[in-house]
Amino acid sequence: MRATMTPQELADRFVTRFGSRVQNVLVKEWCEGTKKLPQKTVWMTVPREILTDAVAELISIDYPHLGVIAASDTGDMIDLLYHLQVFFGGKHEEINVVFTVQVPKSDPHVPTISGLIPGAVYSEREKQDMIGVIVDGIPDSRRIFLPDDFPSGVYPWRKDDKGIPQSMVKELWKVDRPTDRPAPPVAEPEPAQDIEPESPRAASGGATE
Amino acid sequence: MSQKKAPYELPIGPIHPALKEPINFTFTMNGEVIEEVDFAPGRAHRGIEWMGMRRNPVQILHLCDRICGICGVHHALVFAQAVEQIAEIEVPDRAYYVRTIIAEFERIQSHILWAGVAAHELGFDTLFYLAWQLREESVDVIEYITGNRVNYGIIMLGGTRRDITPDMFPRLEQALQYYEGLLEKMINLFLHDKTIAMRCKNTGILTKRRALELATVGPTSRASGLAMDVRIDSPYAAYGDLDFDIVLPDIYSSETTGDVYDRIVVRIFEIKQSIDIIRQCMKQMPDGPVLAEEKYAKLLMNLKKASGEAFARVEAPRGEDMHYVRMNGKQEAPEMWKVKASTYSNQMAWVEILKGEQIADIPIIVASIDPCMSCTDRVAVVSHEGHTGILTKEHLHRLSVEKTRRLQA
Amino acid sequence: MKLSPSLNRSLWVFHVNSGSCNGCDIEIVAALCPRYDPERFGIKLVGSPRHADVLLVTGPVTHQMRDRVKRVYEQMAAPKVVMCVGTCGQSGGVFYESYNLDGPLDQVIPVDVYVPGCAPRPEAIIYGVVQAIAKLERLEKEGKS
Repeated sequence: MRATMTPQELADRFVTRFGSRVQNVLVKEWCEGTKKLPQKTVWMTVPREILTDAVAELISIDYPHLGVIAASDTGDMIDLLYHLQVFFGGKHEEINVVFTVQVPKSDPHVPTISGLIPGAVYSEREKQDMIGVIVDGIPDSRRIFLPDDFPSGVYPWRKDDKGIPQSMVKELWKVDRPTDRPAPPVAEPEPAQDIEPESPRAASGGATE
Repeated sequence: MSQKKAPYELPIGPIHPALKEPINFTFTMNGEVIEEVDFAPGRAHRGIEWMGMRRNPVQILHLCDRICGICGVHHALVFAQAVEQIAEIEVPDRAYYVRTIIAEFERIQSHILWAGVAAHELGFDTLFYLAWQLREESVDVIEYITGNRVNYGIIMLGGTRRDITPDMFPRLEQALQYYEGLLEKMINLFLHDKTIAMRCKNTGILTKRRALELATVGPTSRASGLAMDVRIDSPYAAYGDLDFDIVLPDIYSSETTGDVYDRIVVRIFEIKQSIDIIRQCMKQMPDGPVLAEEKYAKLLMNLKKASGEAFARVEAPRGEDMHYVRMNGKQEAPEMWKVKASTYSNQMAWVEILKGEQIADIPIIVASIDPCMSCTDRVAVVSHEGHTGILTKEHLHRLSVEKTRRLQA
Repeated sequence: MKLSPSLNRSLWVFHVNSGSCNGCDIEIVAALCPRYDPERFGIKLVGSPRHADVLLVTGPVTHQMRDRVKRVYEQMAAPKVVMCVGTCGQSGGVFYESYNLDGPLDQVIPVDVYVPGCAPRPEAIIYGVVQAIAKLERLEKEGKS
């Protein structure tokens, strides 16, 4: 038995520890298969000031596996979603935990969690590149996926004026065939062949190719 | 002791499909031993997530197939699962089983593909050709079911587009018996071979604690003793109904070291596990339709009104694959789509497992986490620092082969 | 065994992946395996562009790979033939619009043979290589690259 608590108990523990600072605490289940075994998820919105404390609290329950940090542009705010999993290794006991952190676009700073979970560096670097949050305290802040000559200040996932401008979008299918290549050789068409008529009636018809 | 920084262009082997583009590693060497590793990912960046935010979910499904050619159906499956959660589409039970069977066949062909590549890195070209010849059988079965060898296009939101009818079962059974007969031979060729054992044992070690901290997934983490398998932890499709156990290296060897040899053990025994799973599926499949909503226009209309956010995870051949989708009910395209492929999580393990190793072991260690750079959607260029001591891939491959010959003599 | 009476040497192929999904790359490697076995014609994959006669390129050309593809093309010695395998190098395929792709392959290097498909079957790739051989022979006869 790996799980030491149910999803509701986990949610209650966070509410007890952090009080009203965590919001929108939800426990969701999704079932698949004929036996309808549930996949359990606990969602909560966490302010960025207590993000490291929340992750430390989760580590004290069970060292989590970090899936990914997703991000979404919602107008004035950027939502960062930290997907973590605890209690893996047993049988159907895993609980997914999602911390939603909202940062305003005017001050897009968020503390790093790579001190607690070293594997978060990749995800945080990607968010810096793709949506323009600044991760404070990150050990390595080079560009990760975009090319080095990508213009700074352009963030592919943003929906506002900092997103990809139309001038940067290339439409590959609109390009015409190149005109400076030699023409391909065209084979001589096969001469038309007469089919043997199967019955005297078709003899006058001839080839039907 | 002298230290020189030498940038190495390192595509893994001249015929490894996934790594023809060089990943530029920068090694700091101390003689023959690696002291520090740095690399930058991101050369196959096609902007897939950005493309996805401008298309409707059915078009995105076909785009998902082409995120990666080796584990394509898992990407499509996980996207379909996420959107089904948002739109609350009820998938018929039979479709769960069809999805499971296709996913397991893809796992078989991916693991055999990797086994061939690993053999090639060690210098056993005959074994490489033999492994890929064995792989052809599973690709034939996949073509029999779906109609194509790569990019199947069989997953649809609400089920699958084709059914596996009972008159197709004898062909599947024939393929399963073919692989069962060969499993002993594969274990002999890969695991009992003295040279492979000498080259792979105690090389590229990843301890359990470091695997947990670096968030590794899949066979890489299981080989280090970390029992992480999405099919058992959070079952999806039909896996919740089936009875199978997680594959850890102690199924074969007495202790778990987390080296390259353990990763080979885990992958070969997972082939055996897949055969077992497919047999159970064929026995238990319930009757019924395979698609919840047959008319695409109605499906798209429902999706246009769906709103919410959800994420889904599956166990792709390389590890956990996760998609996060958010839809806002006002447009067809999702508001946000994040793809997290398995190699994304495993790449950080490279820095850990390459330290302290020798140059000649670089190809096999890099290939041992089964990297699929196209899944990560990008590979980046690391700027060249100087031009002393550039080792080409042929040189590295030759070093690896020479080491094998030396050990065999 | 010779594919054509006038081809007197074996054909060496170099493969570059310019950011593809690896589907075409797997089919290329599968085309070299014992099932289809083009090695009996002398076709083999080499590790360096300087030894190769035919260049196989897969994938839509991403921005980071564009210079590398050009450099590989320039390193090959004439007479040389370029094959574009897969639909994404020809018109983008599913990646028909993006901010990081630098156009179909024929905007970067001149292409001689196009093998469409997503992914094309190994038989189609071998047929494409045969067409490339025929073109190579024509080029040698004409004496220009």
